Amino acid sequence: MQIGYFVVAFGVFVVLANIVGRLLFGKKVHFEINLISLLVLSSISLSATLIGSYANLGIVLSINAFSLFFMTIFSFAMVLVNVIAYVYSIDYQDFALLSSFALLGMYIVSMSTSLITIFLGLEMASIPAVFMLLLSRKSLEAAVKFFIMASIAVSLFSFAMALVYGGANSLSLSGVQRNSLTILASVLFIAAIGFDASIFPFNIFIPDVYQGAPAYLTAMLGGLNKKMGFAALIQVMIILFISFKSTFLVIALLSVFTMIYGNIVAMKQNNLKRMLAYSSIAQAGYIMIGVATTSQFGIEASLVQIVSHMFVFIGLFGIIAWLEFNNRKSVDDIIGLGYENRFAAFSLTLFMLALVGLPFTTGFIGKFLLFTSAIKADMVWLAIIGIINSVMSIYYYARPIMASYEMRAGTGKIRLDFATKAVVFSCLMITLLLGIYPQPLIHVSNLAATYLFAHQYVLP
Amino acid sequence: MIPFIVLVPVLIAMILVFLLRDKYAKYIALLGSLIGLALFPFIRTGTSSITWFSLGNYTFDVVASIANLNLLLLGIISVIAPLIILYSFGYMDRRSEQKRFYMELLAFDVAMLTFAMSGSFLTLFIAWEFLSITSYLLIGFWNQKEKVAKAARKALTIVLIGDLAILGSMAIVWNLYGTFTFSNIFASASQSPQLLLAMVLMLIAIMTKSAQFPFHEWLPDAMEGPTPVSAFLHSTTMVKAGVFAFIVMLPLFTVTKLSVVVSIISIITVIIATLNATKELHIKKVIAYSTIQELGLMLFAASSGAVVAAVYFFFAQSFYKALLFFSAGAAMNANGSEDLNRMSGMKSNRWILITTLFGVLSLAGFIPFDGFFSNVAIGHAFSSNIEVYVILSIISFLTSFYIFRWFLLNKREGNIEVTLKYKMQPRSMIMSMGILASLTLVASIAYVYMPGFLTSQTHYSLGHLIIPGIGMSQYGFGFVDALFETVVIALGALTSYTVFIKKKKLSHNVLYYIVYSSVIINKIYMYVSRFVYEISEGVALLDIYISDLFDDIGRGIFGAGTSMRKLANGKVNTYALAFYVGVIVIAILLYMVG
Repeated sequence: MQIGYFVVAFGVFVVLANIVGRLLFGKKVHFEINLISLLVLSSISLSATLIGSYANLGIVLSINAFSLFFMTIFSFAMVLVNVIAYVYSIDYQDFALLSSFALLGMYIVSMSTSLITIFLGLEMASIPAVFMLLLSRKSLEAAVKFFIMASIAVSLFSFAMALVYGGANSLSLSGVQRNSLTILASVLFIAAIGFDASIFPFNIFIPDVYQGAPAYLTAMLGGLNKKMGFAALIQVMIILFISFKSTFLVIALLSVFTMIYGNIVAMKQNNLKRMLAYSSIAQAGYIMIGVATTSQFGIEASLVQIVSHMFVFIGLFGIIAWLEFNNRKSVDDIIGLGYENRFAAFSLTLFMLALVGLPFTTGFIGKFLLFTSAIKADMVWLAIIGIINSVMSIYYYARPIMASYEMRAGTGKIRLDFATKAVVFSCLMITLLLGIYPQPLIHVSNLAATYLFAHQYVLP
Repeated sequence: MIPFIVLVPVLIAMILVFLLRDKYAKYIALLGSLIGLALFPFIRTGTSSITWFSLGNYTFDVVASIANLNLLLLGIISVIAPLIILYSFGYMDRRSEQKRFYMELLAFDVAMLTFAMSGSFLTLFIAWEFLSITSYLLIGFWNQKEKVAKAARKALTIVLIGDLAILGSMAIVWNLYGTFTFSNIFASASQSPQLLLAMVLMLIAIMTKSAQFPFHEWLPDAMEGPTPVSAFLHSTTMVKAGVFAFIVMLPLFTVTKLSVVVSIISIITVIIATLNATKELHIKKVIAYSTIQELGLMLFAASSGAVVAAVYFFFAQSFYKALLFFSAGAAMNANGSEDLNRMSGMKSNRWILITTLFGVLSLAGFIPFDGFFSNVAIGHAFSSNIEVYVILSIISFLTSFYIFRWFLLNKREGNIEVTLKYKMQPRSMIMSMGILASLTLVASIAYVYMPGFLTSQTHYSLGHLIIPGIGMSQYGFGFVDALFETVVIALGALTSYTVFIKKKKLSHNVLYYIVYSSVIINKIYMYVSRFVYEISEGVALLDIYISDLFDDIGRGIFGAGTSMRKLANGKVNTYALAFYVGVIVIAILLYMVG
C-alpha cells in the first residue's frame, strides 16, 4: 500500500472531519479535530514527500514529487492559517469548513494530469474564498470584487481549454502544437491563472481584497490561494507550452511589470495590509522569473521562493491579525511596537528582512536562486531588473521596522497570545532554519522540478 | 574550516549576552573578544571552503581565504574590538540596554571578521550585507531621537545601494566564470565588457561602503550613533571594508582599467572631505570627514599603484583614529555638548590630554608616530608626479590645520564643572585610550616590515601585483620628502594656532616671528581660511542635493507611485477592463512576434 494514497485519503478525511465538527461540535472541539487532522495530514504528506511515494489516482490525478511538494506546503500552511483564524475570527467553524474544501481544491490542482482537474481545483479553491470573504460583514465589497474577477477568470480558462481541445483532441497535460489557436490559449491561460497568481495586470483588484478581508483570510489568500495559482501556472506553462518561446518572453515581461507595479505602489502605502498586498504582488513577480527561464533550475528557484514567501507571509499576517485585533492598521500605528512586545517586533523585523532577501533567511536563498537561474538562462536583463526591484523594495520594508523601534509616549507591554505566538514562531523557524541550511528545501524542490520536466501525461 | 574558529568565541559570547542578565553583558563581550584575539595567532594562511548548498551541478560555497592582507585586517579587528568594548564599559554605563548594545556590537564583530576572511563573492556579499544591517542597528542605537533614526536610515539607504550593486556584480561574474571564488576568477580574468560592468557595480559598492564621493554623506551623519560605534565602525573597520575589497580585487580593477576612475573619484573625495573637516564644528564630524579623507587617500594610493603604501596607511590609521574618537567621546561626556566652539577643559585630565595629543600628532603626521610614516610612504610614492605631490602637500597642511584646531579648541581652559567631569572620566576609557596611544608608536615599526609581510604570501595574487615594479619600487623613505612633509605639517599646526589661539601673547619662537608677525601674511592667512570656508559651504550644498535625490527615490520614483496607485481605485469595472486589455495586448503582442 502506497503512503501516497493516504495523503489523498486523509485530505478527504479532513473535509469530512470538518463537516462532522461543524455539525456536531462547538468551536473549540471543532478546532481541535481540525487541527489534529491537519497536523496528521501534514506529517503524512511530508513523509510521503521524503520517501518519494508516487502513485496514480485514476487517470486525471497523479501523486508525484511535484504534487507532493505542493500538498505538503499547503497542508502545513493550512495548519498555521487555521490557528490564526481560530484566535481572531468570529465564525471560525464556517471558515474551517470552507477552508478544508479549498484545501481539497488545492490538492486537486497539485495532482492534476489534465486541464479539467486544474480547472476543477481552481474553482474549488476560489469559490470557498468568496464565501469566506462573505463571512465577515466588513469584507462584502471585497467578496463581490473577488467574485466578479473570479468569474472572468473562469470564463477565460474554459475558453482556453476549448481552444486546446480543438487542436489536441485531449485535455491532458502534454505538449501542444504551436498554432494560432494555441497561442491565444496560452495567453488566456496566463490571464486566467494570473488572477490567482496575481500577475499584472490581472491582479489590480488584489490590494482591495487583501485589505478588505480580515487578516487571517488574507493570510490564506496570499499564502495559499496565490501559491496554488503558481502550482497551476507552472504545470500549464511548462508542460503544455514549453516550446512557445515567445509566450515565455511574455511571462518574463509580465514578471517585470508585476515586480515594478508591486514595488512602486507599495512605497506609497501607509496601511500595513495594503502595503503587504502590493509587496506580495512584487514577490509574485520574482517567482515568475523562474517560470520565465523555462529551465529546471528556474522552476526549482521558483518553488523555493514560493515556500519562502508562503511562510513569511503567513507569519507576518499572524502578527497583523493581532495588531488588527488591537485596532492598529497603519505603519504609524505600530510605532513603539518594539517596546510593547519585543517578540512581535523582532519577528516583524526578520520577516521584513526575509522579504528583502537578507542572507540566512529563505528569502535570500529564493531570490539568489531566481536571479542566478535568470543569468543561466541568458536573461541577465531580467536578473538585473529583479535586483533593482529588490533595492526599491527596501524602502517600504524598512518603514515598519523603523516604526516599530521608535519610542512612543506611554507604551506599556501588550501580550501576544500563545497561539499566535506559536504560529509566528513556527514561521520564523522555517524562515531561519531553511535559510541557514537550505539543502532539504532545495532537494525537495529539485525532485519536484525534475519530475515536472520528465513527465508528459497522455490520457486515453 | 579552521579560519572560522576566530568567530566561535565571539558568536558564543553573543549568545551568552542574549541569554544572561544585563549586568554580565559587558564582561562576557570583553571576554569573548579577548579569546578571539588570543586565537588570532593560530590562524594560518590558506583557503578553505564549506559547501552551503548545491543545486544540480552548481554548488555554492562559503570560502575563507587567508592571505597576509586578510591577516592584517583580522589583526586590526581583533585588537580594536576588545578596546572598543573596554571603552564602552565606561562610556555606555548607565545608558540602559547593555544587552542590546553588546549583542549588536558582537554581531557586527562577527560580520566584520567574516568579511576579513572572505575568499569568494558569495562570502563577501553575505558579510557585506550583515555589516550593513548591524551598522544600521548600531547607528540607530538611540533611535528614540528622530535625528538618530534619520541618520541611521540614510546610512542604510546608501549602503544598501552598494549591497545590491554587489549582487549585480556577483550575477555577472558568475555568468562569466561560473564560480564565485576569487582565486579562480583572478586566474581567468580578462578584459571584457561584462567584467567591466561587474567591476563598475563593485566600485559603486566600494564607494558606498567607504564613503566616497558622491556617497560620502552618510558617514558624518552616522556620528549620531554612540561613540564606541563611531570608533569601531566608522573609522577603523567597516568603512575600510570598501578599500579592502578594492585591494583584494585589484587584479580585476587593473584588468578592466578602472583604476584611473578610482583615482579621480578618490582624489575628489579627499578634497571635499578635507575642506569639510576644516569647516565642521561638530566634534565627531570633524574626525568623520578626516576618515573620509583618509579612505580617499588609501583608494588613491592603491589605485595609482602605491599598494604597499596604501596598505600601510590602512593599518596605521586604525589606531589613532579610534583614539581620537575615544577622546571626542570623553570631551562630549565632560562638556555635555557636541559643538567644538563650546569645548574646553581637556587640560584638566592629564592622561586624556597626553593620549589625545598622541592621536593628534599621529594624524597630523609628526615623527615618530605611525601617521608620519604613512604620510611619507604615500608622499614618496608620488614624489615624481609634481601635481599630485602639490595636492597631497596641501592636503597634509590642511589636515594638520584642522586637527590642531580640533585639539586646541578642546584644550582650552574650562570652568570648574567641566574640569571636575574631566577628572571623573571612567578608568576603563582612559585605559583603552592609553593602549591605543602606545599602539600608534608600535605601528610605526610595522613600516619596515610591511613590504616583506605583504609579498611573502604563497597564494592568490596580490603578490604578483606588487613584485614586478609598481608597488614595491615606490615604497620607501625619502629624507627630503620626510623633511618637507614635516615642515608642511608644522606650518599647518602653526596656522591653526595663529587662527584660534594666537591672541593671547607673543611667542618668542623664531619661526613664529618670521612668518606671523607681519600683518600682510596674517591677512593672507585669513583670506585663505575664509576661502576654504566658502568652498566648503558650496560643497555642503552639493551634499544636500545628493541626499535629496536619495530621498526622492525613497519617496517613490518621482511620484510615479501616485499615478500608478490610481489604477487601483476601488472600482471593479476598472479592474475588469485592465484584465481584458491585458489579455488583448498580450495576444496582439504574441501574434505580432509570430
